[in-house]
Amino acid sequence: MAPPAQSQRSPSPSQPSGKGEVSDLKSQLRQLAGSRAPGVDDSKRDLFKKVISYMTVGIDVSSVFGEMVMCSSTSDIVLKKMCYLYVGNYAKVNPDLALLTINFLQRDCKDEDPMIRGLALRSLCSLRVANLVEYLVGPLGSGLKDSNSYVRTVAVIGVLKLYHISAATCIDADFPAMLKHLMLKDPDTQVIANCLAALQEIWTLEASNSEEASREREALISKPLIYFFLNRIKEFSEWAQSLLLELVAKYVPTDSNEIFDIMNLLEDRLQHANGAVVLATIKVFLQLTLSMTDVHQQVYERIKAPLLTLVSSGSPEQSYAVLSHLHLLVMRAPILFSSDYKHFYCQYNEPFYVKKLKLEMLTAVANESNTYEIVTELCEYAANVDIPIARESIRAVGKIALQQYDVNAIVDRLLQFLEMEKDYVTAETLVLVKDLLRKYPQWSQDCIAVVGNISSNNVQEPKAKAALIWMLGEYSQDMDDAPYILESLIENWEDEHSSEVRLHLLTAVMKCFFKRPPETQKALGDALAAGLADFHQDVHDRALFYYRLLQYNASVAERVVNPPKQAVSVFADTQNSEIKDRIFDEFNSLSVVYQKPSYMFTDKEHRGPFEFADELSNLSIGADAVDTVVPAQQVDANDKDLLLSTSEKEDGRALSSNGSAYSAPLYDAPASVPTSQIQSDLVNLTSGLPGHVPAASLAIDDLLGLGLSVTPAPAPSPPPLSLNPKAVLDPGTFQQKWRQLPISLTQEFSVSPQGIVALITPQALLRHMQGHSIHCIASGGQSPNFKFFFFGQKAEESSNFLVECIINTSSAKAQVKIKADDQSMSQTFSTLFQSALSKFGVQ
Amino acid sequence: MLQCIFLLSDSGEVMLEKQLTGHRVDRSICAWYWDHAISQGDQLQPVIASPTHYLFQIVREGITFLACSQVEMPPLMGIEFLCRVADVLADYLGGLNEDVIKDNFVIVYELLDEMIDNGFPLTTEPNILREMIAAPNIVSKMLSVVTGNSSNVNETLPAATALCVPWRTTDPKYANNEVYVDLVEEMDAVINRDGTLVKCEIYGEVQVNSHLSGLPDLTLSFANPSILDDVRFHPCVRYRPWESHQILSFVPPDGQFRLMSYRVKKLKSIPLYLKPQLTSDAGTCRLSLLVGMRNDPGKTVDSIVVQFQLPPCISTADLSSNCGTVNILSNKTCSWSIGRIPKDKSPSLSGTLVLESGLQRLHVFPTFQLGFRIMGIALSGLQIDKLDLKNLPHRPYKGFRALTRAGHYEVRA
Repeated sequence: MAPPAQSQRSPSPSQPSGKGEVSDLKSQLRQLAGSRAPGVDDSKRDLFKKVISYMTVGIDVSSVFGEMVMCSSTSDIVLKKMCYLYVGNYAKVNPDLALLTINFLQRDCKDEDPMIRGLALRSLCSLRVANLVEYLVGPLGSGLKDSNSYVRTVAVIGVLKLYHISAATCIDADFPAMLKHLMLKDPDTQVIANCLAALQEIWTLEASNSEEASREREALISKPLIYFFLNRIKEFSEWAQSLLLELVAKYVPTDSNEIFDIMNLLEDRLQHANGAVVLATIKVFLQLTLSMTDVHQQVYERIKAPLLTLVSSGSPEQSYAVLSHLHLLVMRAPILFSSDYKHFYCQYNEPFYVKKLKLEMLTAVANESNTYEIVTELCEYAANVDIPIARESIRAVGKIALQQYDVNAIVDRLLQFLEMEKDYVTAETLVLVKDLLRKYPQWSQDCIAVVGNISSNNVQEPKAKAALIWMLGEYSQDMDDAPYILESLIENWEDEHSSEVRLHLLTAVMKCFFKRPPETQKALGDALAAGLADFHQDVHDRALFYYRLLQYNASVAERVVNPPKQAVSVFADTQNSEIKDRIFDEFNSLSVVYQKPSYMFTDKEHRGPFEFADELSNLSIGADAVDTVVPAQQVDANDKDLLLSTSEKEDGRALSSNGSAYSAPLYDAPASVPTSQIQSDLVNLTSGLPGHVPAASLAIDDLLGLGLSVTPAPAPSPPPLSLNPKAVLDPGTFQQKWRQLPISLTQEFSVSPQGIVALITPQALLRHMQGHSIHCIASGGQSPNFKFFFFGQKAEESSNFLVECIINTSSAKAQVKIKADDQSMSQTFSTLFQSALSKFGVQ
Repeated sequence: MLQCIFLLSDSGEVMLEKQLTGHRVDRSICAWYWDHAISQGDQLQPVIASPTHYLFQIVREGITFLACSQVEMPPLMGIEFLCRVADVLADYLGGLNEDVIKDNFVIVYELLDEMIDNGFPLTTEPNILREMIAAPNIVSKMLSVVTGNSSNVNETLPAATALCVPWRTTDPKYANNEVYVDLVEEMDAVINRDGTLVKCEIYGEVQVNSHLSGLPDLTLSFANPSILDDVRFHPCVRYRPWESHQILSFVPPDGQFRLMSYRVKKLKSIPLYLKPQLTSDAGTCRLSLLVGMRNDPGKTVDSIVVQFQLPPCISTADLSSNCGTVNILSNKTCSWSIGRIPKDKSPSLSGTLVLESGLQRLHVFPTFQLGFRIMGIALSGLQIDKLDLKNLPHRPYKGFRALTRAGHYEVRA
């Protein structure tokens, strides 16, 4: 359906503008509007269909709004539905015309037919025009009391829609309490489920404002209510069951008997046909038993079969979603799945992402008893037509080898790969052999014999080439040809595009030189000369470093380049266990699919659902929008830049630390400016977007502020500290640091009166501070005392500042405690914090 | 909490858009998605993060079902819901393709309206939906011509929503009461080149087609339920009788539905063998395939097809067989359809593959996928013992069938 933006956008050539057709439709509709002739409904229906199909294609048909409304007086339910659909789509753009529809919708809400009552009520709530909310309260109230459950289901969701349009109206009409009553008393389970969904959302959003709402939210996961739901869970629709199970997963039982009761009650849900229900149940089981190690293990055993069935049934998309969860569990407890390894064998025509997950699981479950079979299976894939998977499987074989099972056999396999003479197999294998040798130097004899036979001309991939060169350097004493191969590689220095390879070549030729000086001397000279002339900085620097090192003392150089090495015992894990635990806690959510905890991909700020959705959805993306929207933003940004740079230019000279920019004549200003100020400006100018730079925005604010009569005390100018606008700190770390670090500063600031007014919703402050790169990690309290925990992170380094800030709204004071990793910077940070806080609410 | 659902045609055109909440999702997300989908090719994942939304997508018959969300939600819920939408639409419209959706978009809107409200899935039960919105089938078209009432919306609301058997139409009446139970199994097997069985498993479903009056109560029992490894049930199945006696006791929905699905693992015997032989030398490769019965299931095996992908390094292929037809498609997929195995000879395919110049020997090997169908037997060995019906005025007709076909049945070379 045409988004509002589309009406301003020039239609793309592929799309008919439909202008002529639309005006045609308009006149036809007008003719039909008053007609009562028989058969008029049929012709109306054809016209409506046309309008809707234009709307669907993306043509703007909002201009026929009036005519559509005029035609809407009909008893034909399909016509009504089409009309509702149309009205719902365009009402937001035409709030004045939407008023016209209220009348007929309200009338339909009192229709005899419950279906029409329901549909009309749903459409009425979907208008989403803020100044029409008064017309919603009445129909919603009677809808909630309707004798037909269909109407009640619609009304409950209608309340939620009303809340999103106007929270105050919804609360004033006491709808949440009515929903609560319905939730406990209604005979229809769909009504109950909708009440629960609506209440969860409303109370979560309200919780920050009112103590009562947060109490009510807590009450949703109280024992009586949870049991009320659990006892009836089978009567609910499958989707409602998923919702209930999500709720149950949050419940904390008092003792183990309760845990077993709940699990017994829910056990049959594992056999449900709907995968969403099964996964939600599994989440409940896992959450409940977290603290009971034995039972937790039994739960794994119990959920294995349903998960494996879910993977093998259903569409590839469903399999993938389940497989991601299975992957998580396998990675967490590989031992429990080690006998099921055959389930992770790849089928030929599975999509790549499924195969990749399976390979990772195969790697994880490998142990003494099954390694042989798994590696045999992986070798099958290595020879298969599917090249990306062939590569992945070779890597998997390598990983298994590094896990120390049955290395002997695996090394043989790897060496067989090298004999396959397929360039990508050779490449992957070389990288692996290198890693293996770092861990098991004792295999060098076997490996070197085979590696020595590989012609370096056949290896093109940089990683593989680097690995080969590393081995040539490391084992040059055992490989007769090593110096000569290196020499020929150095001759082709100019053709070598990868700097990684050239770096390795330098190091390898150095190592070789210390082992076989006479044979390598020439090659070393050539390599150093080529390296010194290299345009790549790292290569040049390394060559220079070796050159000087050799000049200084050859034996020192040998100690540096060729020290005795210890075998690597464990290669670093890419993902730390804390993150893995985090993902596990977020079982049955998107985190599992993305393999990242949610704080890494959703906004850190604890926003309720959709709080910023509007802003976000107004941001257009994609090729379609690029021609119009994005250039506009760019121009906008450029304007800001221009504005900023001019003001900064002036400020650079004029803005002195006390902010009295205009008192001093411009020309003699430079002398009075502290150098640090200039530096900070420079730093700020180069770092990040103008909107995120405290100093820059401050400069603008100051300029603007001078013209206004209500000016707060000029804020202190920003210190030379820039913060990382995308800082990340998880609550656990914050807590730990807060406990460990001493308080480095305690101060009291005053908050501007505007700030106090704006503090009605704490979120406003959080957003404001985030604009200054200071992030909130937790907040709470109620009028007059609010408490916030913020943190900031220095740009470029991970030095954290932790802040506890208590704001008293009646005295307009903020008490601030600052703790810092780097104590010396805490004063600067405090100034920055104060300057950010002082501008809160002042616009 | 889904915010919007889009249906895209196979050329990326937006066929339908259904906004679910007040926060409308701009259409440009589809353009982003389409570019992303093209750049990812077949590595596209079902759950994607775009710069502004999380996207769930499934593709059915060339039509992309795309859903957007901005908040955390169970991924399977999004995917599963889209799958149900696709199923319901296919069921309603008698198949899925671009034309049928464009012709019936009003019905699609109506359906989506009842299936999800404000982002919460409501009901996806086809029986309930059918009572609210009539399908655009020939019968209803006829009716509308005859009666002059062309509305496809049913006059009454489904009473079933208020019942405790939400899956069943309240009171259907049939002149002929009949119920059919089908065992449909798919065999997944991986066989190595030396004929050893790497893995063999059966995924099966019990499909029921019920046309019974009133509120019948059925019990279905198996002769050998112990072979089942894991089972999943339609919501109508009562759990306790299964738990204690492995008996399926249920009040069936009306019409066709999947009563139960199950898995049987670690099977030892496979019906067909395929022996591939590849010998390569001096730039050419000789390929020969033999197909035959391994363990005769006692019923005819038909629709036998062998499919494989020729390795990319092969420039030309010349293949012929002694029965059936061999086709090589443009994407280097070779398909050999045999049908039934003739009595007098065993099917074989042979020929030469010419490698690209410069290559001496073949290093990558194709995987052969075998397709077949066996009517009248469930290869897992599962057998229905009996079906009892209660609460029925007349003696109904009961029918049983079984069918096994190949799922992922592959032989490596």
